[in-house]
Formats: sequence, C-alpha cells, structure tokens
Amino acid sequence: MHKKTGLIFFPAFDWAISPTHPEREERLLYTRDQIFEEGVMDLPQIHEYAPRLASIYDISRTHFCVPQVQNQVTEAHLIASGSILQLADSVVSGEIKNGFAIVRPPGHHAMRVVHGNRGFCNINNEAILVDYLRRRHGIRKIAIVDSDVHHGDGTQDIFYHDPDVLFISFHQDGRTIYPGSGFSDELGGPGAYARTLNVPLPPGIADETFMYVVDNLVLPVVNEFQPELVINSAGQDNHYSDPLGSMRFTAEAYADFTQKLKPNLAVLEGGYAIETALPYVNLAIILALAGIDYSNVREPDYYPGKFKESPEKVAQVHRMVEELLKTWNTRDQVDFSQIFGSGKYYQRKKFIFYDTDYINEQQLEQVRRCNECPGYITIASRARRGNPAPVSIFAITIPLQACQACHSEAYDIYDQAKKKPEYDYVYMQDKYTDKYRTYVKSKGQELVTKGLVENAKNYSIE
Amino acid sequence: MYIGIDVGGTSTNAVLLDNGLVRDSVTVPSSADIITSLLEALDKIMTNVTAESIERVVLSTTLITNLIAEKKYTPVGLILIPGPGLSHEYYQFHTDTLIISGAIDYRGREIMPLNDDEIEKAINILSTKGYKKVAVVGKFSVRNNKHEQEIVSKVKCLQPDWHVEIGHQVAGQLNFPRRVVSTMLACATRDKYSFFVESVQAALTMRGIEGPVLILKADGGTMLLNKVTGVPIETIFSGPAASTLGVQALIPPGETAVVVDIGGTTTDLALILSGQPLLSSKGAPVYEQLTQVRALAVKSVAVGGDSLVERVGQEILVCPKRLGPPFCMGGPMPTPTDALRVLGLTGVGNAKQAVEAMEILGQPLGISHSEVAQRIINSVINVIVQEIENMFTQWEQEPAYRVWEVLQKRKERPNMVVGVGGGAAGFITQIAAKVGGSPVIPPYAPVANAIGAAVAIPTLQVNLRADTERGYYTIEQEGYQGKIEKTRFTEEDALLLADEWLKKRAEKYGLGNTVSNSEINHRDVFNMVRNWTTTGRIYDISVQTPRGIIGHIGAKDGFSNA
Repeated sequence: MHKKTGLIFFPAFDWAISPTHPEREERLLYTRDQIFEEGVMDLPQIHEYAPRLASIYDISRTHFCVPQVQNQVTEAHLIASGSILQLADSVVSGEIKNGFAIVRPPGHHAMRVVHGNRGFCNINNEAILVDYLRRRHGIRKIAIVDSDVHHGDGTQDIFYHDPDVLFISFHQDGRTIYPGSGFSDELGGPGAYARTLNVPLPPGIADETFMYVVDNLVLPVVNEFQPELVINSAGQDNHYSDPLGSMRFTAEAYADFTQKLKPNLAVLEGGYAIETALPYVNLAIILALAGIDYSNVREPDYYPGKFKESPEKVAQVHRMVEELLKTWNTRDQVDFSQIFGSGKYYQRKKFIFYDTDYINEQQLEQVRRCNECPGYITIASRARRGNPAPVSIFAITIPLQACQACHSEAYDIYDQAKKKPEYDYVYMQDKYTDKYRTYVKSKGQELVTKGLVENAKNYSIE
Repeated sequence: MYIGIDVGGTSTNAVLLDNGLVRDSVTVPSSADIITSLLEALDKIMTNVTAESIERVVLSTTLITNLIAEKKYTPVGLILIPGPGLSHEYYQFHTDTLIISGAIDYRGREIMPLNDDEIEKAINILSTKGYKKVAVVGKFSVRNNKHEQEIVSKVKCLQPDWHVEIGHQVAGQLNFPRRVVSTMLACATRDKYSFFVESVQAALTMRGIEGPVLILKADGGTMLLNKVTGVPIETIFSGPAASTLGVQALIPPGETAVVVDIGGTTTDLALILSGQPLLSSKGAPVYEQLTQVRALAVKSVAVGGDSLVERVGQEILVCPKRLGPPFCMGGPMPTPTDALRVLGLTGVGNAKQAVEAMEILGQPLGISHSEVAQRIINSVINVIVQEIENMFTQWEQEPAYRVWEVLQKRKERPNMVVGVGGGAAGFITQIAAKVGGSPVIPPYAPVANAIGAAVAIPTLQVNLRADTERGYYTIEQEGYQGKIEKTRFTEEDALLLADEWLKKRAEKYGLGNTVSNSEINHRDVFNMVRNWTTTGRIYDISVQTPRGIIGHIGAKDGFSNA
C-alpha cells in the first residue's frame, strides 16, 4: 500500500482576532463543509491526525517574543503550530508521504522578534517547524516555497542569513499590496546569498504565467538546492476571487503547482475568499498531495479562458525569471565585498510596522561574518505601541551550525548587553545547546528554558 | 415490569426486570427465523407474569445485520447528483449507478440546474434493468433538497410503484459517499423491516401486551417499533450496543470500563468512559462500506473461544476462523477453549480431549500440553489487550476542530475490565492484569445484552443549522428545511428553535414529555462578513435528550427515575 497523505484540519471555530476580522471563526467553515461532504477524510489515501499543542519551548527556539512567549500567543497559536509539528513527525517517521496542515491562525508575516500581531500573524509556523526539524530530526537543508499573494516577509526575515534554507516567495508586487516588500533584489545576507528569491508579480497575472514561474524558476532552483525537505507556505489568496489580492490563479493551478513541487509539508497561510476560493483550493491541494485526480474540482463561476493576461506583464515576468535564474546560477561567483562590504559584521536597519496591533518597530540587525559558520546575529529593537513608553530589547541568536569562536563571542555580548541600561529585556537564543534565556532588567532575573523538555509549559528561573 | 430481548447469532436471551432487579432470565438457541426465536424467548420469560404487568418491551435483533451481511434484498439502483468535486470514478457502489448533472453548494445554492432528459433517461435505464427500488442522493442535498425532490417526483410520476429512498431524509450529516451507502441500505431493508414490525406487533397484541414496544439502535438508544418512523439501518449492530448498555447497568455509575464480550469466533470491545458508553466519532462501517449510522465505538476482533489453533512451522497460531466447536466438546481442531480447559480456567468439555488437543500441537515441537495451552492463552490475550490499547489511543487521537476541544483532551485508562459473553470467564483476569484494571464478571453476565436492551432509553438529537443571510434553516435528523421568519434571529432564537424541534421529534417518537431537560452538545456561531460588513450569521446547534439508561441493576431505590 502506498503511503498516505496526512491531514490536520484545525479551523479553530472558537477563535477570532475580532468578530469581523478576516481571521475569524467563519474562515474555514465552507472548507469544512466541502471536504466533509466530499468524504475526503474517509479516502483510503488520507489519514486525519488530531491537532496537538506546540510548547512554549518550541516557540522560544525560533522567536524573541516580547516580553515573553505567553504574552504573544494564544492557545489557538500553539495548536496551529503544534499541528504542523505533528505532521512533521509523521512525515519524518515515514508514516505518511506528505502532510497538509489546514490550520489557523497563519504565521508567515511573523518575524524573529515579535512585539505583536502583523499581517494576522503572531508566530511563524514554518520557521518553528524548521528549527524543530533540525533539533528533533537532524534535518538541516530545507526549501520553503511561499505561494501566498503577500510576500512571506516574516519567513524571509528569519532565514535571511541561513545558507541551508532556500526561501522562494512569489506574490503580488509589493508596491500594490501589504506588506510592501519582497522585491527581486532582496536576495539574502552575505552568508546566504541567493538563498532568498522573490518573484513580485504584477496584478492580474493568471495560471499560465504562474506555471511559467514554477516551471522555469521554482522547480529548477529547488531541485538544484537538493533540500532534504520541501515546505509550501500554501497561502490561497492568489486566487482570482480573493478580496485582498488582485491575482487570477485558479484552484486547479494551485493543485498543478502542488503536484509539481511535491512538498513534504504544506501549511495554510492566507486566503480570504472563504466561500469562492478556499473550499475549492483546499480540496484541490489535498487531492493533488494524495495523488488523486483533481480535474473535476472547479469553481462554480470558472470557465477556461476566463482570464486574459496582458502581454506586457507576461514579458515583464519572463524577464524577471531570467534575471533571477542568472543570479541563482552565479551565486557563488559574486564579489560579496562589493555588495555587503567587508566589515566584521554585516548590518541592516529595519522599520517594521505591525498593521494589526499598530506598533512601530525599529531594528538594527547585525550578523557576524564568519568563515566557519553562518555567524550569530544580534538585534537591537525598539517598539512603540500607542502611548506607553517604548520597549527596548536586545537579542542574540546563535545558529545550530555555530562554530566555537562565534558561540563564546555571542555569550560575551550577551553578558555585556545585560549590563546596558537601555534594554528592558535581553534575550539569548542558543540553538547550539537548545537553551533560551530572557533577562528581565526590572527584576534583575534571568528566565531559562532548557533541555529537551516535552511540552515545557513555563520558564524556570535560574 | 420491563422485558429486554436480544436475538443473537447463536442464542436468544430475555430478561424480566422488576423495580431495578432481574426477576427472571431465559436463554433459548436462536433459530433461522428471528421472529420464532424472539417469541419463544418472550413466552418463556412471561410464564409467571401477566401481560398487563409488562410496561414495555425492548428488542435487539440481528435482522438488519443479517439482511445486509447475506445480501438478502432486491438490488437498489442509484441516481446520484455529485456535481463538481471528487472525480465521479470514485463513486463505485457495486450497483447500477446513474449520474445526473446538477449541483448544489455548501450553502444550499443551486450552482448547476438539473437536466430533465437525463433524469428520464436514467429512470428508463433502471427500469429496463428491472430495478424497482431506487436511492436518490445529491451532494449537499442536506443543505438544499430541491434536486433530490425534483428527481423523486419524476420517478413517482414515471414509475409510481417503485420504492424510492431520498438522501437528505436518511442521512443528514455532511458526507456524500456515506449518505449514498446509508440511503441505499435504507432502501434495501425497508420492506423486510416493515414486515418484521408487523409480525412482531401482531404477535404481541395477540399476547395482550399493550405497553410500548421499542427496538434498540446501534447508538444504544431506542425507537418505537413502528414501520413508518425511523430508519431501519439504525438498528444494525444493536447486539454490541446491548451488551455495553447491559454492563453499564451492571456496574456502578461513573466508572471507566472496557467491555470485553468474548464469543465463539469474535471478541467485541467497547468503552464506557466515566459511566457513558463511547460513541463512534464517525458513522458505522457496514461490511467495508462507510455509512452515517450513529453507533457506539465497538471494535470487533476476530478471535474467540472457538477460533482455530494451528501449528505453522515452529509457531502456534490462533487463526481468525472457526471450523467447529472446541476439540474437547467434540470439535475437529484445537481451540483456545481447549487451552482454558487444560489450565483449569473453564469447566466445559472433556479434560482428556483438551489435553489431546494440546498434544496435537505440542508434540512436533517437543513442548508439553500445559505450555502449549499457556502460549495459546497468551496470544489471545495479547491480541485483545493490543486492541484495547488501540481503542484508547484512537479515542485520544480523535480530531478536534475547536480550541476548547483540544485543551480538554484527556488520557484515561479503565478501572474495570468487564467480561461478558460465553468465553469471558477464562480470559478476563489476565486481560485485566495487563490493562491495569480490576477484572469484573458481573452477575447476569451471560444475559447482559438482554439487560442492556431492557434498560435502554430513547435518545433523540436535533442538529439545527440556520443561515440568516439566506434566511433558511435545516434540521439534520428530519431532512427538513424551512424559512427563518424573524428578521433578527439571534443565538437565543436558534436555541429555542432547536429545542422546539426536539420536542416535535419526541412527540413523533411517542416520548411526549421526556424532553423537559435537553442538553446542548455544541453551539457554533459564525459571523458572516462580506465587504467589511456583517451580513448574517450561521448557527450550528446540536441539542439532545440526555443519554443514559433507565437505571442501574440493584440500585437502592430501584428505577426511581424511570
């Protein structure tokens, strides 16, 4: 018997950001109706799993939540995130061939530092998954393809300096849609150049050009990268009926894309055409993952030839694909000192706006350039939410692949930062030893999550 | 006084309950004809009581189970309206299936009209092939039954004498393929069920029994024996439900127990969690086909006291089949019962022959008869214990779609392992030791199923789905769809409406006043927001009469709450 496709369906029928917010109880109601009425869960090719909770510890491995994880996540977040980890365990153990987490709330706009909710996201489910796969299952090289209409800026932010994560996002041009980023010159830091690829698509692009990007850029690059695992951030708002996006993709094209990419794990992200797109797109993706004929899945108002693409826009996309492919192919022949300078650190200044929670954040991110490892990263961040005084934090993250020199250097910096008066909280995220610390200035206290504690509910005080 | 009768495959049990005590019980061998067995048991149990003193009779029979297992029904043709979605090649139901174009969506909107010519053609094809029974089922017909109704009136017009069964009236939950199977089986069994009902009613009237007569369903609830109301396939697998309810009545309230019913060839397992039998999260599978029949979660394991035991190479295997009675009772081959006899765990059969049976297996391997016996018992116990463990994990692993459901998930293990059925006695102590509960063989264990029937009470559910934007609501169990009259239809209104329907259903089922205290199973409220304004609400509300049994056997005050 062929292996099954694992599904976790967690519509969170009792959770919403607010009663009328797009992220509300109703979002997956019609998807539920469609997949239940089709009897999808009974198909011999499908296995439905129960959701589970991610631990606070799983979140600390990826994020700096300010002030703490408990302040940024609700139980719904932990369930969405945990469901994905459940499917990952089952894929890695060989129980299932692939998995699809149709869960909410979504996560791909959540960056490494979390002051609040942005783009409907608090924590980044795919990033938590990557860190978990590395720590738990020793999987290192991972490709993430983001098919949401919005740029996956959170995922990009987290893996910008990680040479072992290939991140490809195709989305509507950031000049016309939230979050206003994801241009083709955002290519990753000096240690991970061209491991981030962005394909901003002009509004109105339809299936044909979508497939062109997939066939000519996404698939060849992913294949050459040779990841151990492929993740799809399966946002569905490129659909022609989406109220937030202006693209023209169909459910069938989403399924074609899935069939071609063959992701090991697909994770629902955005998609707010809750009646006209989601029931059909989700069904089509499930069937494609399970290797079942999806040709009879179609939107009631769709007919072939419904959308015509503008030849200029198509030509523009073709040129961009060619450029990006060239960048990818010559990624190792680039003179990095020309692009990134040649200092000990490479630094970026970022202004991050949290649309949902109305927070303005300023960040200075510095990555230690090291020939032995990807280098540690430090982030000084200051965020203001309404009237109260802004919060200042300093955070250090040590990658799993860190060399000894970087590891001890990072701890020196951590100790120095704890003494600096300007930071309210100082964080140390040591992925090398899997230990995560928060220093609370006002209490002079250090909170630590340590060891492989299953479902660690709280921090302990050391 | 209450009478419970369980007509099983090999024997028919009846009990007479009097004020919470078992006043009498009888067992007769089952004959080929269910009604004969039933009346024989009934007459025996009534020898010392008058017909007037019988307040009610509850039956549990294998009628529908047998009809379907043996395919003793005339074939049913299918007319399906699946519309877009899963490829139509997936709809294989082993009968002539005609697919008609047309589609309804998840909110009950027509997205593709029916085609009259196609319908006529389909009816003609079925007629040419000799069908006189037809099931009509549409995808999303539970949200809007217009298409199903239109096809049915066409069939009635062209073939007035056909028996037609309609999807939305048989199976109201979402799941089109299961609805097809349920409707097909309902269609197949309806006439034979009606005949059974008439015969039983006539026989009871003749005996002067005037109290209500009910029949047990797969979910442990009852329905009035009446040929018009109810769906006959809901009475399938009432046997395991009867045993489980029997155990529920025989152990103290609130216990968590596993019910182990070891028969000749199969062992049925069921769970009682904190005093309440566990319902299967999905509908019952009926011979490999999935239906929407609400049933208790019962796991049938293909091992029993009469299972064939064979030596294969160096291994001694318990096989999932029966060649006859145990060797010690004159059967052809060794069985687990022989092993029990050798170890002194049962008194049935001839001890010498049991030893002989073990030697047949052990001699080629050079092991003693008692070691062979121990090995056999161990392997039977291991299979059963593994399945018990699986049932608990499966229950823990059931999907959850709401945050609170995920958070309230618990881990539970049984305090009691309760053995019923003929083969239980020899095995139950060892099973309990492995599972970590105390072994219990309750008094009246051999007739637990008849007790279960006697104490069963009707359970009624109403699932209401109201869509205020479209202005209509549906009642899942009734296949009803109606208009929402109020302009501002609130959650309170939806709850009241659901309660009203529960009362209506209770009256229809002859239960009148029993629904004074309804329980809310779940209530979901969905704000519908279109273009940033709230345009309506969808209410998904499920209410039911309390589940349970009339009372516990031997309870201090008898069946005071009955």
